[in-house]
Amino acid sequence: MPTTTASAVCTTVGNNILLRLTSGERDVKLKALRELKNQIIGNRTKKLSFLKLGAVPAVAGILSDAVSAVDVADNDENDRIVKDIIVQSAAVLGSFACGFEAGVRAVLDAGADILIQRGCLVEEMPLLKSYMEVVDAGARSLKMIYQSKMAPKYDFLQEENMEFLLSLLNNESENVSGLGASIISHSCKTSLEQKLLFDAGVLKRLTSLLGGSLIQRDASLESIATIFKNNPEVVSQFVGPDTGRTLSCIIEIVKDRFARTRLLASLCLIVIRNASPCYLQDVGIKTKLINNLLELLDDPGRVGDEASFAFSSLIAEKEDMQKLAFEVNGVDKLYNHLQKGSLHPRRFEGILLALADMCSKLECCRSRCLSLQVLKLVVDALAHDSSDVRSAACMCLRSVSRSIKNLSAGSFMNETIVIPLVRLLDDTSTAVQVAALGAISNIVVDFTTRRSTFIRLGGVKLLVQLSKSMDSTIRLNALRALRNLIFLAEDKCKEEIFMELTASLLASLICDPEPSVQEQALALVRNLVDGRINSVEYIFAEDGIILDAVGRQLRIASKAEIEIQGMYVLGNVATGKESHKEAVMDQLLLRAENKAQSCIIKFLQSNDSRLRTAAVWAVLNLTCSSSPGSSGRLVKLHDAGIVSHVKNMVNDPCLDVKVIYFSSLSGFLIVVLMVCLMTSRFSLVQLRVKTALEQFNSFDDSLASTSCLQFLTVRAVGELSHVVDPSSKEEESIANYFRFSMKKNKKKKSTRTVKFCFDVPADSL
Amino acid sequence: MSLFWIVIRQLAEIEAMAMSKKVITREEWEKKLNDVKIRKEDMNKLVMNFLVTEGYVDAAEKFRMESGTEPDIDLATITDRMAVKKAVQCGNVEDAIEKVNDLNPEILDTNPQLFFHLQQQRLIELIRNGKVEEALEFAQEELAPRGEENQSFLEELERTVALLAFEDVSNCPVGDLLDISQRLKTASEVNAAILTSQSHEKDPKLPSLLKMLLWAQNQLDEKAAYPRINDLATATLEDPAI
Repeated sequence: MPTTTASAVCTTVGNNILLRLTSGERDVKLKALRELKNQIIGNRTKKLSFLKLGAVPAVAGILSDAVSAVDVADNDENDRIVKDIIVQSAAVLGSFACGFEAGVRAVLDAGADILIQRGCLVEEMPLLKSYMEVVDAGARSLKMIYQSKMAPKYDFLQEENMEFLLSLLNNESENVSGLGASIISHSCKTSLEQKLLFDAGVLKRLTSLLGGSLIQRDASLESIATIFKNNPEVVSQFVGPDTGRTLSCIIEIVKDRFARTRLLASLCLIVIRNASPCYLQDVGIKTKLINNLLELLDDPGRVGDEASFAFSSLIAEKEDMQKLAFEVNGVDKLYNHLQKGSLHPRRFEGILLALADMCSKLECCRSRCLSLQVLKLVVDALAHDSSDVRSAACMCLRSVSRSIKNLSAGSFMNETIVIPLVRLLDDTSTAVQVAALGAISNIVVDFTTRRSTFIRLGGVKLLVQLSKSMDSTIRLNALRALRNLIFLAEDKCKEEIFMELTASLLASLICDPEPSVQEQALALVRNLVDGRINSVEYIFAEDGIILDAVGRQLRIASKAEIEIQGMYVLGNVATGKESHKEAVMDQLLLRAENKAQSCIIKFLQSNDSRLRTAAVWAVLNLTCSSSPGSSGRLVKLHDAGIVSHVKNMVNDPCLDVKVIYFSSLSGFLIVVLMVCLMTSRFSLVQLRVKTALEQFNSFDDSLASTSCLQFLTVRAVGELSHVVDPSSKEEESIANYFRFSMKKNKKKKSTRTVKFCFDVPADSL
Repeated sequence: MSLFWIVIRQLAEIEAMAMSKKVITREEWEKKLNDVKIRKEDMNKLVMNFLVTEGYVDAAEKFRMESGTEPDIDLATITDRMAVKKAVQCGNVEDAIEKVNDLNPEILDTNPQLFFHLQQQRLIELIRNGKVEEALEFAQEELAPRGEENQSFLEELERTVALLAFEDVSNCPVGDLLDISQRLKTASEVNAAILTSQSHEKDPKLPSLLKMLLWAQNQLDEKAAYPRINDLATATLEDPAI
């Protein structure tokens, strides 16, 4: 077969070279070394085959011999050959280490890095030209080694190492100073090291290298970025008469003629920007960076691949940057690149992640994506060979599906999207599974009734399976997806999901070793029992193990988020029948370890307003006057000291919930107003409502109080529709709430308005 | 009816105004040209830049001696670079590769496209010399693995190997690969890579200037009739057509 013949030929040639390497005669050795070098440079296949023949240790041996044989000051012919041998063997070793992981490993195993350093880069470097070649060759090879992740970590903490590094940096030769910079870029990881390097005054030399040759400039940019990365302290110490000069120098280099240099300069500026909020904040520089990176995407090579990652680091989590990028048609440009097809996986991943970042906060970006039909390309990417690409596609979907407008329109809940996504739940890579779960969590928040599509396609089975995973991240995300799926689901849907989940699984998840998993499980149960009376029944399945688990967690939990979800579960259950309410009372009072101090009192006094809110809801749902047993429950709660705490909340500084007790001989009037879901945005509304409520409190007459209530609801709705974005679910739900309460008011004179709050899973979107 | 004719006449006038361009005579033009000052040093630098980038070492050396213009890179490095370029132009690709690796072993290791084109040129030379078996072996051993790594390399490889399929190579669809121009293309690529590694611009400035001139003339053509330079080689002014 032709291939075998070819490699057989290769092996013969290879063996021939290796044989000559072992020769005693120096010129034979030298010739063989040069041949070997010329065979392997640029040729990955040859590197591999020579590696297998044991070339690396052989050459390392030759280098070692030559280094001991050389006399530095000598310049005669004999020594010439020895120096040439050093140069050639260093070049061979360097080439093996160039972009070829197996080669780097072999070179390091042979101890070649230390050999080269000792042999080529001694401190007292004579200026003989022949020796300069040795130095250059050594520096080049070491630089190749240090570009690999596997290179040994350079210990900056040792003083002699630091001195050596500084001598490298200060050397005139571009290869040697480039090596120094490479070492910094590769090995400087911790903030302590960053500080050490900064204090050693390395930055001054690096800045001067910015004006040097291409190699020096590129290496210097990478090093500067490494020293400043994620280190605000070092960046702040950067202040001084030199700062402006360095920064403006780098800003100039952003316009350099070489693409790679432009990319490195941009990355450097991004690192400085991200580490410290006081630099590089003006609109001019922001726009320049964005435009530069978008332009670099055009580069067909590795620079173009990496440009999108740089773009992501520039805009991630920063709404102002995303807005700027949108204004310069960033979405369109990214889409154009996506469209080109048969992209290198790295580039594909980068562009998808960039789009994900663009759409993470801004609705305009998401709309633009959807109108450009980006989804089709993203869905295709879900089936890509590379797991990184699949993962990135899921993240992109997750960002785009944060668009509530499109969620409500059901744009995502169709087979073309759901089928490939569900398939990814079974993916070999954990990261892909987690990313897919993230996307699914959003997509299932569907405001139409199309969840059945997802269930029909086997989504629930897989989600439940994943919630039993050994990996807690997967359990967590699977539960989140289920929680969102169950949110406001129809009865039939809920039933199917619950049957798949089973009560015992839910109960065990509530008691999961991971607190974050417990939280999601409780939130899931909260959404499960929310809705009609029948939904509440679920929590009593299998002898009420779920309810017991909830109660137990509430008593022992220490994390606020868990307590909040647990309280809401109880609050929701308390909207059910008498038996349901009694069961909740049971959990709160009878099972308490210390009967005098139910856990709910702790919550009512908590500093966390969300917790207080949740607790009050539960109390109110337990004592609302429409149920026959409510007066009895009120008495019990009063005896437990709970009621007085609730009464004190009239003056609660948090205006999420305003509770007014109106007690009369015949009954109670309890009004709860859920003014807004997020306190901060509606302060104006709160002020008005607070004023009105205080007036309300003084009314003795139920008729007057009813009118007051009506007035409040109208005012509140009016305010809210002015303040809130009309497309948001929040406004719709709040409006619904108030319509409900207004309708009730019209029917009866004395009313109670009770509504348990349902969870708009804003945090998971 | 008369209104109609007035409108037509007005339209004709407007059109005539648009059509008539400003005419500049040779005298006026040459006078304007004389008023523009160019420094001799700038021109010398341009010439030196051209000689250096294109690799005319001896000419650059002589020019330096005669004009006192300093080249922006070390002339010694040009010699090495020119040796490489010459080797490729003569079809001695293996020699060229050795020389490049001696000059800077990083270049071919970090430039897969260049390396592939050099190997491709080697294959072409083997085919040109009729060494069919050797060519096949070479293609299998050296080039096929490159093709596996990269789709575009594979396509180019297939084109090259196709040369072997034709009896009359000079008339086949891929015959251009055997042209001298292919060698020159590869040589130019190597030259550019070496220049880049030395932080030098890979293109001389002179062609850009000439392009600028042509563009400017095209722009001006729309507005005026003036003495044009039509032959870049002689740069003579040709009178405007009136």
